[in-house]
Parts: sequence; C-alpha cells; structure tokens
Amino acid sequence: MDDINLTNNAIAMICNGELQAEEDMKPVLQVYDIKLLSAGQQSSNERYRMLLSDGLHSQQSMLATQLNHLIHSGKLQKGSIVRLSQFVSQTIQNRKIIIIIGLDVIFENCDQIGEPKLYVDGPQVRTSIPGQSSVGHPGTASVNPQSVSGSAASAPLPSGSLSAANVIGRASLHQPKPEPHANPQSYGSSFSGNPDSRVFSTTNGPSMYPKAESGARHPQSTSGKYGDQTGNYVNRNEGGSRAPLNTYGRPMPSTYQQPPPTYMNRGPVARNDTTVRTIPIADLNPYQGRWTIKARVTSKTILKSYSNARGEGKVFSFDLLDSEGSEIQATCFNMAAEQFYGMIEAGRVYLISKGSLKPASKTFNHLNNDFCISLDIGATVQPCAEDDDSIPMQQFHFRSIADIENMDNNTMLDVIGVVSSISLTVSIMKKDGTETLKRSLQMKDMSGRSVEVTLWGNFCNAEGQQLQSLCDSGKYPVLAVKAGRINDFNGKAVGTLSNSQLFVNPEIPEARTLREWFDTEGKDITSVSVSRETVGVGRIDVRKTVSQIKDEQLGTSEKPDWITVKATINFIKVDNFCYTACPLMVGERQCNKKVNNNGDGQYRCEKCDQSVAQCDYRYILQFQIKDHTGLTWVTAFQECGEEIIGVSAKELYDLKHEDEDSFGDAIRRVMFTDYVFKLKVKEETFSDEQRVKSTVVKAEKLDVSSESRFLLDMINRLVEDHNAFLGKAANVVMESGMISTGLGVNQASMMNSTGMRTNHVGHGSPYNSTKNAIGGTGVSVFCNSCGGTGHNERNCPSIINRQGHPGVSGHVNASHAGVVSGGSSFTGNMSSVYGSGGGGARGYGGGTNQRVSY
Amino acid sequence: MQRTLNTTDSNRGMDTSSPAVFVNAELLSKYVGKKVRAVVQVLRTEGGNIIGNSTDEMQLVIKGHLPPQLTTFVEVIGIAESNQSIRAEIVTNFGDTFDALSYNRVCQLANGDQKSLFL
Repeated sequence: MDDINLTNNAIAMICNGELQAEEDMKPVLQVYDIKLLSAGQQSSNERYRMLLSDGLHSQQSMLATQLNHLIHSGKLQKGSIVRLSQFVSQTIQNRKIIIIIGLDVIFENCDQIGEPKLYVDGPQVRTSIPGQSSVGHPGTASVNPQSVSGSAASAPLPSGSLSAANVIGRASLHQPKPEPHANPQSYGSSFSGNPDSRVFSTTNGPSMYPKAESGARHPQSTSGKYGDQTGNYVNRNEGGSRAPLNTYGRPMPSTYQQPPPTYMNRGPVARNDTTVRTIPIADLNPYQGRWTIKARVTSKTILKSYSNARGEGKVFSFDLLDSEGSEIQATCFNMAAEQFYGMIEAGRVYLISKGSLKPASKTFNHLNNDFCISLDIGATVQPCAEDDDSIPMQQFHFRSIADIENMDNNTMLDVIGVVSSISLTVSIMKKDGTETLKRSLQMKDMSGRSVEVTLWGNFCNAEGQQLQSLCDSGKYPVLAVKAGRINDFNGKAVGTLSNSQLFVNPEIPEARTLREWFDTEGKDITSVSVSRETVGVGRIDVRKTVSQIKDEQLGTSEKPDWITVKATINFIKVDNFCYTACPLMVGERQCNKKVNNNGDGQYRCEKCDQSVAQCDYRYILQFQIKDHTGLTWVTAFQECGEEIIGVSAKELYDLKHEDEDSFGDAIRRVMFTDYVFKLKVKEETFSDEQRVKSTVVKAEKLDVSSESRFLLDMINRLVEDHNAFLGKAANVVMESGMISTGLGVNQASMMNSTGMRTNHVGHGSPYNSTKNAIGGTGVSVFCNSCGGTGHNERNCPSIINRQGHPGVSGHVNASHAGVVSGGSSFTGNMSSVYGSGGGGARGYGGGTNQRVSY
Repeated sequence: MQRTLNTTDSNRGMDTSSPAVFVNAELLSKYVGKKVRAVVQVLRTEGGNIIGNSTDEMQLVIKGHLPPQLTTFVEVIGIAESNQSIRAEIVTNFGDTFDALSYNRVCQLANGDQKSLFL
C-alpha cells in the first residue's frame, strides 16, 4: 500500500492553477475524507465532498454526481487512492475547490499518507470551512484553519470588520471585493492570529451551521449584493435550486465567486482586475482562443425550466454591453445556469472568460451580433469591483414607429415614444389555462405615427401603473422599450417579453428630443396608427353569402375568417342543444368544462377535480342557416344561444324534459326568423378530416331598415362601378341584364322590406375616385347618409370622420361569375371582367364588384 | 313586409291592368293617370282626404275612401290624379316607423335603369 506515491505537491499545483486536467498530469491523491452534503429536497443532488491530499497538503473537492456510484459501491472511500483524470479547480467563496469530473480508484483502501495540511493559496482569502466541517464531522476539525500553519486568512477580514456577526464562518467567505487592500492586512492580522483564531474556535460547533445561514444573508458590502440578489433567487426558485445551495455545504445561495485563478497568480493581488487584458465584444468569434471581455449586463432573463426531447433543463441568458457599444448575448444551461444565475445582476459590470462562441440564432437573440456566448460551468464570471463608466448602462437601437409598419412579425426591436394613452389592466387567460395580466397603451413619436404597445405580466403593475399616473396627471411620459417584439395582431403592434425592459422617462438624448417635440407640436397632432385600434369593426363586418363560405374556402387559411351573413334559421338540432357545465369559478371566470354525471346525483369536473351537486347548463346550439345562396350549419354557444332562443339553457332544458309542447313552441318561435350573424369560420381537423366550422359570435335579429340601407349601398356601389365602367365602353346591357337574372318580380317588394344601414362610411378608397357617378345611363348615385344625390356617403360633405374599413366588400365575384355566365344576354366579355379578382381589369384596385344578386 | 300586387276591381272602369309604380312626389308627375303606389307620412286629415308628406318631403293629397284608423305611415295605391294628388283605392297602414329614405331610393331605382323589373 505504501508503494503508492501520491503526486508530489499536486494539491498546491492544482490550486495554483499550474496543474490542469488537460495536461498529461493526472495526479494521484488520497481521499482523506468523504462527506455527504445534505442535499436538500432532492436526493438526485446528492453531493459528496472529499478532502484530497497529496501527503503534504489537502484540499476540498467536490465529486461530480456521475461518480457518486463509486462511493455508493464502496470503491471510493476514506483513504482511497485515486488518480484524477478530469478535474477543474475553482474558487468558490474565496475557497479553492477541486471539482472532480473523472477519477480512477487505484486503491480502495489505504492508510492515511502523510499529514496533509489544508492548502491555502497565497493571496487567496482562506475561507473557513471550520463551520462546515465542524458540523457533524468533528474528525475534520483538523481542517480548521487554526491548524494551518502559516496560512493566512483565518480572518480574511480586517479585524475591524470582524464583528461578532461576521465571525460566522460563512460571512467571512465573502471577502468584500472592494477591499483588495485588505488582503495583505488580513494576513497581517491573521498572523497576529490569536484573537482571530479564538474567534474561530468559538465558531466551532454544530450551531455554526444555522448561524452561518444567517450570516450568509448578512448584508456586507458586495456580499450583501449577492445576498440580495441570490436571496431573490432563492425565493423565486423552488426546489431544485436549493439543492446546489446545500450541495456545496454553504447556506449561501449557489453562487460561485470566481476570480479567474489564472489572473490571480499572474497579476497583482488587487481584485479590480485592471491588469487583465480584455478584448472588445466586437472581436469575439468562435476561433478566438482565450478571451476575456469586460461588459455590463444590460438585461437578464429569469431562470427558466424547459423540457424537450432530450430531457429537462434550465436556462437563462443575459445581454452584455461593452464600452465600445457592442452587444452580445450570453446563455447558460443547467448547472451553469444555476451557478451563474445568482451572480449575474443587471446593471453590473463583469469580466467574463472561457465561454464558447456560437452563432446566434435569430429567434432567441435580438442583439446585433452574429455570435452569442455560451457559458458552461468551466466559464469564468467575475464581477468587477468598480463600475466602469466607459460602459454605458444601456444601449438602445431605436426604430421609428413608422418603420414598425414595414417590419416583419416577431421582430425584436427597441422603440421610444410618448405615451398618449394607457388603458387599464385586464386579465387574460392563456392557452395553457393560466392567467396573465395585459395592459395596452398608445405611444407616438416624431414620425407622425403611433403604435399600440402591450405590456404583459409584471409590467402591467409596475411600469404600467407608473405610466398611468403620469398620463392621468397630464404629464405624458416618454417610454423606451428595449427588446419588445412586433406582432401583427391588429395591424402592427409591439408587445413586451420576459426579457424586455421598460424605461419611463429615461435620461437619454432621444427621450429629451421626444419630450421637446411633444411639448411643442407633438401633442396636438393626430398620429396615424400602425395598429388597428378598433378590434373587429373592420374585421367582422365583411358581408358574405352562405355559398361564399364554401366557394371562397373561408377559414382554410391560418387564421379564422370573421364574416357577417344575413340568413334565416332553417333548422335547429334539439337533441343536444346544451351540455352540463362545471359551475366552479377559476379565477374570475367559470370553469365551464363539461362535467360527467357520476350517477349519484353529483357531477364531476375533471379539470377542477371536484364534484358538484348542481351543474350549470350551457348552450351548444347547432342549427342550420339558409340564405338565397345556400345552407350551412353553424354552432352557437352560451351567449349567442341565449340570444337566439331567448331563454337560458337551463330553462330550455327543463322545458324539454317537463313540458314538451312548450318546448316545441319555443323552438318554433325561433325557426325561420331572419338574423344577421357574425360568424367565425375556421377549418379544423377532426380525426383525419378537415372540416370548416362556423361559430356564431353574434346573432342580431334582422333590422329591416338597416338591411335596406346596406343593400342600397351595395346597389350604389354597383351603380358606381357600372358608371365608371361605362366610361370604358362597357356593355350597357350588363348591368340591367345582370340584375335581371337574379331579381325576380318579388324584388320590388323585397327591396322594401330588407336592407341595412351601412355604418361604416368610406369603405376603401377606390370608390372615392368616382365622384361623378351620374353618367352613362343616368343611374344617379344616392347618398345613404344624407339622402342627397350626386354623391354617396363616402363623398358625402356632411361626413367629417372617415374611417378606412376596407372590409366590407359585399358579394365577391366568385359567386357572380357563376350566375353571370348563366345569363343569355351577356357577352363573353362579362365573365372575364367580373370573374377576375375584382378591380384588376377595371383599374379600381382592390374594390370588388357589388352585385345585388337577389 | 311583403306585399303582393293587387289588381283592382275592374268595375271601376279605370286603367288597372298595369302594376302600380313606386313613386315619390318627384316621380308622380310622370305617371299622372297611371296606377301608382306611394308611402305617405300622414300630416293631417282634411275632410275625407289625407294631407301627407311623400318620401321626398313634398306634400301630397290622398283622396278617396280612407280607413278609419290611420297610422303615421300609409301606403297608397291608386291613380295619380295630378302631380300632387292620388285617388286612393287601397290604403294600408304601415305603422309608425318607416324608413322613408330607403323607400325613396327604391322609387328612384325602380324608375331608373331597372324599370323593366317593375313594370
């Protein structure tokens, strides 16, 4: 057994950084001690700490979990001789720890070789493991720095700061960075030794541990910062994050303080790293060897957990900005994420090294850099003691709001503007059932355009509230959005993401310029919005006929189509017109999930995981609607169902089961009534087939007067088209002939009875061009608004407010073409003219032919 | 409301074969002596006549036998006696609400290019 030669001075060399795993040297060491660290909640994070010795010195090391089995099987035990094949030396909390990733057990058991003393790195502040080791491990009291001769830092702090609280071993770990000068002193003081050692001796004992815990949170200069931040971290992240906390036997949250060991030995002792050579971010590339950058963290995402095909993981990323203004994104996964998450604080400057450069992906990276940094646990992140004024706090790349209109969906951008209005926070249910907060505001800038910005989640209450109070008091604030994302929900709008940042009235030149502009002229001008603020008006009132749903393949594109159809209820399915619904409240809304009858009088809701005695009844009304072009089935849910039937689902249900006659009456009353339905048409996949389903969003009983107006408007447009067309030597017969195919004798009477007022004035500009519509055959144009002739409501002088609602297009050619060609009096020209996509042949651009095809 | 065309009693000895033309005051003059129909807003009754407003806001006189109860709007089918009066044969109550603007527009359309549809 004694043939074993432990690699001489290996410990010292490892700690000095001279011995690295990548070299051929695979030091042979003895395991002086093994300790299992309390793993917290997760046994999967069972970590073993071993004291390794080369006979001369000993050093703490952590065994990588993949090697735990060696200990479990007994191969690796106290006294074992091992050869380290892969390891890394890191400084954690001012202590050198050797992370063992690979080792071979040469001998399972061996007597202790030598009298190793805990190795103390030169200028390194010796942390006191005493607290740790003394807990439940009286045997390793030898580790107590007291026994380390000549080693300094049993009292790393200048004695002055070694207040009672600081005695707590943990706290002393946090060597305050801004006191590099303390180091030499500390040595001095420690050499004077006795008071300090005494101090430490008092800390021995099991009570150490919990005290250390509190010490860890003791706010103490920079360590306090960590404490705060990581305190947050601890609060935010449950479960898994605690494991690493305890893993390393430190009640401190799992941050590693790692001054790069290489530098420590080369440069001066001072911590502020002024001698470190850093390169600009712009010079970073994957082929660059060792590099170090000094940059400020401008934003940081939260630690997110994810699971994909390869398993689960955690990730967070942060943006770095250097003094030249270049930015790059850094990402950490899993272990590294946990390691660095607590350490990285937005706004602070860090020295980062030993990360790897990868090409940046457009989806996850919004910065102007082709690369991004990937940090793993071997990377080095060192906070800078002093702030660096040469590095700006934030770098913005503002786009003007006018540009947003032309930018692609999902683009990330920075934008700045004056908030002209902000609405209240609403709660939105997400697809996964969770609720989130949403708040929208309008902002405008000097481009004369305005945009809707949506705040999500925490922004609603924090910045949102601030903006609201500023707006309410008349001081329209300047808002800068960093890393917002464009969406094209209604026109183009900007939304916040979890890594977006909002700055209210920032102290930057752009903000000042905007403020001046706004105060002088901006507040008075009306900006044109790139977002369509009114949801639905332009979108929903697209009038179609039933046949058009099929002919135009509505609903088959990515998004659902919203149309309006005037039709008659032809048939109602009375078998399953409602379902039993869960009445329990989930947040602010009812669950409404279908409940199953347990048979014992209770109804069980799977989602809420409860049973209720009394369930709710909700409409799921399927009925057939018909107009002059065809029939189709639609479904109406609770609100619309009630609107149509006139009674609640529960009442109808009771009626059906109790009084069949009245039930029949109720249904008959509804049949064959005319409605104007707003439908949402969407193709859905049912097992293997695609079906276009129409849902009734709104059902309004037909208002004859409005419908008449609507029809008259359509006639007007038809007339206009026709008149304009006449100018191009069209077929005069067309119009009258065309109408005659559709219209019957009843037209006259029907014209009396039906119609709808078009409220959307000014449909699409193409029609504005035909101001003089009286021409040709003398069909005069009539204004539905003021009743005058010679103009229509689009040109009506009495209308001041015009909105562009290109949506109302009436009946499209597709349905016309079929009918048109059927007529006998038509020339060949006609179908080609009308059959085309509207406008092209005639030069209207965009407009469609209005055809009253009754 | 759907209305079917009525042919009047041939006993009257008038020109009844043609269907009634939709008219307002402006168009009335074109169809003097012909069978017309118009919706009129009742202003007042004088003797056995209705003084009313046409859908284009001009006054018309409706003569003939009138029903006892009149609503605000009535439809009159009869022979145009002058460019301001109609001899009513059928008077129908149309209720108190009516979209005169639409009706007026219909009159114009019905007498324009699409005349052939109606007459």
